[in-house]
Formats: sequence, structure tokens, C-alpha cells
Amino acid sequence: MNSRERFFAMLDGRPVDSLVLMPITMMYAADQAGVRYGDYAADHRVLVEAQIVTAEKFDLDYVSCISDPGREAADCGAVVKFFPDQPPAIDEQQARLADKIELARLRAPDPLGGGRMHDRVRAAALFKERVGYSKVIEGWVEGPCAEAADLRGINSLMMDFIDDPAFVQDLFAFVIEMELRFARAQIEAGADIIGVGDAAASLVGPRIYEEIVWPWEKRLVDGLHALGARVRLHICGNTSRILDGMGKLGCAIVDLDLASMADGRAKMGPDQILLGNIHPVHVVKNGTPEAVTAAIAACHRECAPRFIVGAGCEVPRGTPAENMMALTRYAREHRP
Amino acid sequence: MENAKRLYEAVLEGDAKTARSVTEAALAAGVDPQKLVTEQMIPAMDEAGRRFECNEFFVPELLVSARAMKAALELIRPLLAARGAQPAGRVVIGTVKGDLHDIGKNLVAAMLEGGGFEVIDLGVDVSPERFVATAREKEAHLIALSALLTTTMPSMQATVEALQRAGLRERFKVMIGGAPITQKYADEIGADGYSENAAGAVALARRLSAPM
Ligand code: B12
Repeated sequence: MNSRERFFAMLDGRPVDSLVLMPITMMYAADQAGVRYGDYAADHRVLVEAQIVTAEKFDLDYVSCISDPGREAADCGAVVKFFPDQPPAIDEQQARLADKIELARLRAPDPLGGGRMHDRVRAAALFKERVGYSKVIEGWVEGPCAEAADLRGINSLMMDFIDDPAFVQDLFAFVIEMELRFARAQIEAGADIIGVGDAAASLVGPRIYEEIVWPWEKRLVDGLHALGARVRLHICGNTSRILDGMGKLGCAIVDLDLASMADGRAKMGPDQILLGNIHPVHVVKNGTPEAVTAAIAACHRECAPRFIVGAGCEVPRGTPAENMMALTRYAREHRP
Repeated sequence: MENAKRLYEAVLEGDAKTARSVTEAALAAGVDPQKLVTEQMIPAMDEAGRRFECNEFFVPELLVSARAMKAALELIRPLLAARGAQPAGRVVIGTVKGDLHDIGKNLVAAMLEGGGFEVIDLGVDVSPERFVATAREKEAHLIALSALLTTTMPSMQATVEALQRAGLRERFKVMIGGAPITQKYADEIGADGYSENAAGAVALARRLSAPM
């Protein structure tokens, strides 16, 4: 089976020859290809090349358009700083929506308008051309909480949840419309699955998550399904208290970062595919290959058979190749 | 003290408006400003910190509590200063070079203020040289460093070394924190203290600034 066949068989519950392998690589991928991260984030050709080199070297089942959370915000006019060999960063002091009134003036950018979003759409198209028959192509959008934080400033957004939930709802509505247009462009260009990154959702606690964040995540996921995409949800950090809701979104794949896989399985039921979740720093980067194997075997045991091999979050820069190889070997030598 | 009790509640509930108006009323009625701090505001922030550690409060709740506390403190601080009251200590705080994560640092800074410290917040992406220069210029007692990325942790060590090079290591206590930091790391780089969370950071700062 090639990677695509394996992945879609797994999703549909058909037999597969081995586990699916989908760790997130960004700075790690740039380093594999010997390119600087600033170029990786700015030029889809560099990103695509580095993703393919990395996927081939470690037999990963997919390639991804993910690079940094600043693409949509940049096209909305936020101030984004670029660095030679680091991810671009949004300047929170000058947040696009530092003044809430600005929301009324904000127009969703055209994902084909020549900006940073367009660069990602081009990545999807180039992936399709280069590895469209062998690897799964993952597009990427920010979730409501993450994107709202990028536009408003994360500290302000956190307080808005309590001060002015109506504003947050309006902001989320804007975000969801923008992200669905962005996703549509990536899907039309060749993305098979859409990853939704909603990092900041792990900071709000179960009440705000369920009342304010979840309904918009749900709209986004439903919208993505209507566009024909499969969805992978990625919320960084400790999500132990919101696992229930995450399971009810209906995503094909749910990543876990700092939450237990056993807990995820218990809360989301036997059918949910869970991806993860060995510790990116303590195990993937700083552990031995034996520790990587033991940790991923434990994850597998806790949530077989609906399980995909990965780390809790991005594979850090500086991870030894032997550790990545240990992950690859585990995936290839085991079945769900 | 009926009003003052409402200050405790307003801070805990994150209601900055009420915190201000209650403080104004209490001060007008002649309540001792120092008492408002020690009997209402510090206990309220301690309770907020406790709830955060037990997962009853999350980042939004803690941030609005901190803001309410600051609103009341703005009214009280000039009165304390006019009396010549000394802060519990002066802290220079910031997120280290290359690192832009500031939620945890902001919470620690707010809790320290609530705990009676004077806080000079340098923001994010702060170089070792800037920490040293500011601490010297402002005659601080403590330098508090926050890092959330394993790649920026070495900047903590660089700050300790910069203090040594400047011959100032003995003059300032250095405390560090952030999700990837451990006591072991603090020991390795020769920092004076580490705390896992914002409430612990206040206790630590008190311990470090107590006269030996
Ligand atoms: C929010 C966030 C962001 C926001 C930050 C916005 C902001 N203004 O802060 C944005 C989107 C900008 C961001 C960017 C990145 N992030 Co980030 N981010 C997070 C996230 C989701 C939450 C961090 C947080 O605020 N926690 C809540 C606060 C309250 O906790 P805390 O900071 O630990 O603080 C507490 C204690 O540690 C302590 N404390 C903190 N400071 C101090 C100081 C002292 C002196 C003391 C005593 C105590 C103390 O008290 C606090 C309160 O109890 C975490 C994942 C997670 N959920 O943990 C990732 C995370 C920290 N990010 C990560 C990464 C990799 C990045 C990026 C490199 C991602 C990328 N590829 O683009 C960039 C780097 C940007 C940069 N140069 O800094 C990784 C770090 C991995 C590692 N260990 O190296 C994490 C862990 C995600 C992950 N699982 O991989 N991120």
C-alpha cells in the first residue's frame, strides 16, 4: 500500500498494512532540507521541497502546508515580523484589532489575492503536482480561538471572553467565514485533508470552551465537511478538560498534545481516530530511540485500533534522526 | 469594612469597575489603604491563584482578576508612596530573548504586584543586557525571567552570566519560570529560585527578598 491508500483505508475502517505515520514537522523539515525557516514560511516552493525531502527520508504518510499561524492575520493587515531562521511572529502590541471597532472595517482577504494565504494555496497545488499520487496532502487553517487571538492579541481575547462575549461571537463569525474560503481554495488546489489548529482553546477552561468556542469550531468542521474535506483537529497544550467537546466535533482525526490518550479514548469513544502523542521535547527530542519506541507503544496500547502515530505537537528542531527513525520503524512494523 | 469585603469579591470576580468604585468609597471613608492591600487585595489574588492551580479558574478568569487588582492598586499606590511605605521589593520581569510568550509572565507580574512588589515589566524578547541594565538602573532586588520555548531557555543562563560579568551577581536575586523550566535547570544555571506557577512565584519572591 502506498501512503495515500493506507491513510484512506484507515479512515474508512478497511484493513491496512501498517500504522499511519503523521508527525507534524515544520522547522525540523526546513533543517532536513538545509533551508532557512524564514524562506520556508515565505515561499511555498521551499516549503514543498522540504516537506517532500522529510516525508521521503522518514517515510511519513503525508505532507503539510502548515508553517505558522500568521498567514490569515498577515493578509488581514496585521503586522507580522519575519526572521531569517525562525517562524514569523505577529506583533501583539500592534494587533490588527487592538481597537474592537476595526472589526467592522475588516474584509475577509481573497485567498487567491497574492498574499500569504495564496502562497499556502500554491503549496497545496505544487504538492498535488509533485506527490499527489503517493502522499496525503494536508491543508491548514486556524481555528476560531487561535485566529481570533492572532487578530485581537491573545491577552485581550482572553479577557474579551468575560467582558464582551458578543464581540467574540462576531469575531468568530468573521474568522469562520474567512477560514472556510481559505480551506476551499486549498481543497480546490489539491488538499485531501484540512488541519484545524486551535491552540489557544486549551487556555479557556471547559465552560467558555463549551459555550463560546465549541459552537464555532463545530460550524467550521461542518463547513469543511460540506466542502468534501476530511478534518484533523489540533489543539496544543493541555486539553484534558475539553476532550468531550473535541470528540463531539465529528473530526476524522483528533490530535492530543498534553492529555492522556487513554483519557481521550474513554471520552471520545472507540471510533474516534486519535493521533499522538509522545512528548515532543522530553521524548522525541531529548529521549533515546528506545524511549521513543516505548512511549509510542504505550500510546498505541491505550487507543488501538483507531490510532495514528505522531508526537503531541511539532517535532522540535534538533531532534536526532534516530529518534524519528524509531517512530517510523514502529509505525511500519505494527498494524492498528 | 463591609465595603472592603466587596473589594475582595470584585477582584476575585474580575470586576475592575466595582474594584475601583469600592476602593474610592473605602478611601473616602477613611479606610487605611495599606489594610485594603493586605486584607483584601492580596488574599483575593491568592485565592485567584489557588483556583487557577485547582483548575477552577483558567487564563481568562485570572487575567481579569489581575486587571481588577491593578485598577484598585492604581488608586492606592500614590497614597502608600506619599506615606513613604516601602514595597515588598522591586522586581524587573520579562520574557527572555527570542521568546514572545507572555501570558504566564503577565500573570506572574500581576500576582507580584498584588503581593505588594513594585514590578518593572520589560515585555517580551528581552536581551540579557537589557535585564542587567534595567535592574541596575532601577535598583531592583529581583530579576524574574520567563521562557516557554526550550530553544530560548539558554538565554536565562546568558542573563545569569551577564550579571556575573558585570560583577553584579550578588546584588540581584534571579528567579525563573515557564512551562519547560524545572528546579534542576534553575540549579544548573545558578538561578536563585524557580516556581512552577504564579502563586508560587509570589511566595518565592518574598523568600528571596527577605533580609538574610
Ligand atoms: C499561547 C501560545 C503561543 C502564542 C503566544 C502568545 C502570547 N502573547 O503569549 C503564539 C501563537 C504567539 C505562540 C507562538 C509560538 N509557540 Co507557542 N504556545 C502557546 C500555548 C498554546 C500556551 C502558552 C501559555 O500561555 N500558557 C498559559 C500560561 C498561564 O502558562 P505558562 O506560560 O506556563 O505560565 C505559568 C508558569 O509556567 C509560571 N511562569 C511563567 N513564567 C514565569 C516566570 C517566573 C519568574 C516564575 C517564577 C514562574 C513563571 O507561572 C505561570 C502561571 O501559573 C503553548 C501550549 C500550551 N497550551 O501550553 C504553546 C507552546 C508554548 N508554544 C510552542 C511553540 C513551539 C511555539 C512556536 C515556535 C510555534 C511556531 N512554530 O510558530 C511559536 C514561537 C514564537 C516565539 N518566538 O515565541 C511550544 C513550545 C515547545 C517547547 N517547549 O519548546 C508549546 C508548548 C506548544 C507545543 N506543545 O509545542 N505560542
